[in-house]
Amino acid sequence: MEHQPKALYCLLGTFTKTPEFFEAAGKVRDAGYKKWDTFTPFPVHGLDAQMGMKRSKVPMFTFCGGLFGFCLGTLITWYMNGWDYPLIVGGKPFWSPVFPFPVMYELTILNAAFGTLLGMFVMNMLPRHNHPLFNYPDFVRSNDDTFFIVIEKSDPKFNREATEAFLKEIGAEEIHAVEA
Amino acid sequence: MSAEAVATSSAAAPATSRKNPAGIFLVVGIIGLAIGLGALVMGIQNNDSRLALSWLVGFTFWFSVLAGMLFLTQISYLFDAGWVVVVRRQMENCLAAFKWLWLLLIPVIALPLLMDNPGLVWRWMDLDAVVPGIHHTTVGNDVLYLHKAGLLNVPFLIGRLCIYALVTCGLAFLLRKNSFSSDLEINPKYYKNCRKISAVGIFLTAFTATFAVFDLLMSLSYHWFSTMYGVWFFALSMRLGIAATAVLCFHLSQQGRLKGLYNQSHAYFLGCLALAFTVFWAYISFSQYFLIYNANIPEETFWYNIRELNIDGSKSAWWYVSMGLIFGFFVIPFIALLWYPTKIKPWRFRTISCWIMFMGLIDIIFNVVPIQEPVDNILGFQVLPFLSPALLVDVAVVAGIGGICIWAALRSAAKQEPIPLHDPRVLESIHAAE
Amino acid sequence: MSHATAEVTLTPEEQKARSELIAKAKPVDIPRPILVTGGKDFHWVTEKICGIVEGKTPLWWWILFLTAACMATFTLFGLTWLVSTGVGVWGLANPVNWGWAIVNFVFWIGIGHAGTLISAILCLLRQKWRTSINRAAEAMTIFAVVCAGIFPLFHVGRVWFAWWLFPLPNSNWIWPQFRSPLEWDVFAVSTYGTVSVLFWYMGMIPDLANLRDRAKVLWRKLFYGLFAMGWRNSNRHWRNYEMAYLLLAGLSTPLVLSVHTIVSFDFAASNLPGWHTTIFPPYFVAGAIFSGFGMVLTLMLPLRAVYGLHNLITQYHIDCMCKIILATGSMVGYAYAMEFFIAWYGGNPYEGFAFINRAFGQYAWAYWIMISCNVISPQLFWFKWVRENTWLVWIICGFVNVGMWFERFVITVTSLANDYLPSSWGYYSPTIVDIFTFFGTFGLFSVLFLLFVRFLPLMPMGELKAVMPAADAHGHGSGTQGQGVPHHDSEGGHH
Repeated sequence: MEHQPKALYCLLGTFTKTPEFFEAAGKVRDAGYKKWDTFTPFPVHGLDAQMGMKRSKVPMFTFCGGLFGFCLGTLITWYMNGWDYPLIVGGKPFWSPVFPFPVMYELTILNAAFGTLLGMFVMNMLPRHNHPLFNYPDFVRSNDDTFFIVIEKSDPKFNREATEAFLKEIGAEEIHAVEA
Repeated sequence: MSAEAVATSSAAAPATSRKNPAGIFLVVGIIGLAIGLGALVMGIQNNDSRLALSWLVGFTFWFSVLAGMLFLTQISYLFDAGWVVVVRRQMENCLAAFKWLWLLLIPVIALPLLMDNPGLVWRWMDLDAVVPGIHHTTVGNDVLYLHKAGLLNVPFLIGRLCIYALVTCGLAFLLRKNSFSSDLEINPKYYKNCRKISAVGIFLTAFTATFAVFDLLMSLSYHWFSTMYGVWFFALSMRLGIAATAVLCFHLSQQGRLKGLYNQSHAYFLGCLALAFTVFWAYISFSQYFLIYNANIPEETFWYNIRELNIDGSKSAWWYVSMGLIFGFFVIPFIALLWYPTKIKPWRFRTISCWIMFMGLIDIIFNVVPIQEPVDNILGFQVLPFLSPALLVDVAVVAGIGGICIWAALRSAAKQEPIPLHDPRVLESIHAAE
Repeated sequence: MSHATAEVTLTPEEQKARSELIAKAKPVDIPRPILVTGGKDFHWVTEKICGIVEGKTPLWWWILFLTAACMATFTLFGLTWLVSTGVGVWGLANPVNWGWAIVNFVFWIGIGHAGTLISAILCLLRQKWRTSINRAAEAMTIFAVVCAGIFPLFHVGRVWFAWWLFPLPNSNWIWPQFRSPLEWDVFAVSTYGTVSVLFWYMGMIPDLANLRDRAKVLWRKLFYGLFAMGWRNSNRHWRNYEMAYLLLAGLSTPLVLSVHTIVSFDFAASNLPGWHTTIFPPYFVAGAIFSGFGMVLTLMLPLRAVYGLHNLITQYHIDCMCKIILATGSMVGYAYAMEFFIAWYGGNPYEGFAFINRAFGQYAWAYWIMISCNVISPQLFWFKWVRENTWLVWIICGFVNVGMWFERFVITVTSLANDYLPSSWGYYSPTIVDIFTFFGTFGLFSVLFLLFVRFLPLMPMGELKAVMPAADAHGHGSGTQGQGVPHHDSEGGHH
């Protein structure tokens, strides 16, 4: 990275007050930017709608994981106790959905949980240990008490001067150009 | 069917005749009760337990609904929940029905005793009745009855029922009084009182509901016992209470006094609760079955056997009912409520709530109706069948007792503000967001 | 909010009536408690929590750590003795074939449940006070599961064959037997451990990123950076993260119920008097949560004092936990009452004897310790002055921990020691090996917990900030619930 010529990656505006930041995010959405994002030290309630984002897709992963786990549990208990090595124990049938239910259930939960975590990483495109934004020297402030609004250069509406003026207009306290 | 019918009629009523919906429900109630009463008397005269059990089914259904609302009201106070306030006032109005409900239990207890057929519903009330499945033994000679006779005798039962009525009506009275008084005066003491009443009341309600259901339902087969039974009833009552509240609030928000006050978030939260208690009900019902199945002790398994097998070992209609409960009372509501739009789209949520109430009625029938009657066959007993014309009587009694309960609730609602104006969380509730 | 009256259109008159009604609604002033007191800002939270990890290792930490490590060696010693000799070194004697090992297993696994309860159930119930304690409680869960797992693992006797419990093909081509409650336990406990770690880890990712970005030395940057997975606080990430968190909470809730349910099946699926009773599943779950909260307070009160976390773990937090202990303790009391009642009502003489014997037989002392610690002592939490006296709270929580251990002892041992065959009745006592092994697990638990306190963020900073008044996007300082309550002393934010 260090050896390559640096190019502009994005413009970054900072905010320190939640309500002002929240209003500003709505204005960016209304201005029609597409490749933009906000960075917040904590999940701000209502910000998803303010940014015009839809409900997360992670539940699909959970559901698929759970379904897989349930089928897996049904299959292994049936195969192992009902088919491959049938045993008579406790006057119970070789296989029934009742007695191995705890096993089926636990495998459902286990796989649904793995599915959820996987879904979170996949939908967020993580892990990604390097990102142009980390070049911003004060990035640590987004963990602490500062909100960023970032408009990327690759956005079709991006224009260095106009966007900078726009960020200023919506109330950004500082505006930085981040290069990558 | 019945529950849905009741629910939809409660929907239609305020819209069609705004003048006196309470009166209509009163009339429906009286007609339903008249049919039920006729069936009860006929049952007593013809020694037909099934007809008499309809009354118990109807009572249990509305007792579950109201007990659920009583639990939910108190729990919401204890959690100091904000969103619930708008909804809670509607439940408080319904709690006015408790005193009528307990009065309506009297016929099924008193009439068999007065009309000289005491063992018709609760076999243990008749010491001369033959114990099903044990030849030539009467209740009076049954070791198990004699062991329990200190508890299962009519005077003590009536005493206990009075206590249950006193506790539930008393709590309903106190909670209502404090909540309604707070409309007239801005004073934090009312809310604080409610929280204190609820802290004590939740325990009283838990024990009352448990023992009421032991006395009224579990003692129908007095040989059988399950420590979980009270918890099962708690789960059922929460489900029915939440579903009834959801249906009620839906209608009030469409045509009534909650228009513009009951919003999507309230429905969402109620939906989440409905989902949680769907799972809880399944958990409790499954665990009870599962433990009895695994331990395989005849003293306990017979209760499930009579709900599964015919005399020749084939599956009886009750088995299909139990499958219906697994899929209809658990799987369908579970999947439906898991899905976000079901919780927030008013019509869908109303539909699933009505469905839950209907299946709740089936669960009550499943628990109440299959009792053993002595006959001369290899088992020494037969089980009351599921399919019978008496199902229509069940519907009539549910509508009858329901009519009276809704009438009482509407009467209370007419006198009170639609929302508690000075509840400390009232604005939070009006502006509730997910 | 815009969706407030979805699908219902109001006529002008109705709109007017609604406005008039809302204008009449004047909530009486019972303010919501503040969750982060002292008027602190976001930066203070960051410094406070990161400071614990980044500061110099305090002397007391080394003293406790070394003491705990020494304690943990007792477990090592006990287990070595056991493995090199055989299970006979424990106090087990027919018919008491389940002694302290099972008691300790259930005890530890129960402790863990409060962690999941706080992180999952309270999350679903939107109890925002959970944010200050959930991370530590989740850590407690995981370490408690580690301690719990040791006992059944070594109870199998030949521990080198313990992998046979998993459905893996072995040289005899015999599979696990899924009708056995102990096999269900294998799945339940391993799932529980795994999901708890996932939940704990996922919750920590934003905080690890924070530590990564603040790190001054390379190893910290690498260590925290590796586990932070490149998290960068983007709201497009938070959205998925929050959804995943909610889903994991939704999964953990039925999981935590199922785990102790399955533990209770170990007993209840049998037909031994005193073990086979249908209320066991919810009763065990309530007991587990009860004991877990006892342990949470036992751990958090000293931490609060040592690190000066009084602004984050306030009296309100302590109040809430005390009330949960009171509620669950009373539920446990309800279950004891039901068991006794049905033992009589059921009319089975063996069942009746089992309970009379518990209360008045040779183990009556244990039974009454259980009753007084679990049912009676929490009733003190009805009183506000008790909840406000930190020392008293801590002592009562100690009683709760003791009482719940005795509950498992009473259940396990009394039913076995006086079984169907009076000629084999006896009095079960543990040996020194039992005692060493159990004693050492407290050391192991403490070692793990101290490492957690030292190296990982003790509280979720993001969630803490989100419940602070300054986090409200509408500037009312009141977050999700009260747009209408424009005051600083109302609770803020949303998780």
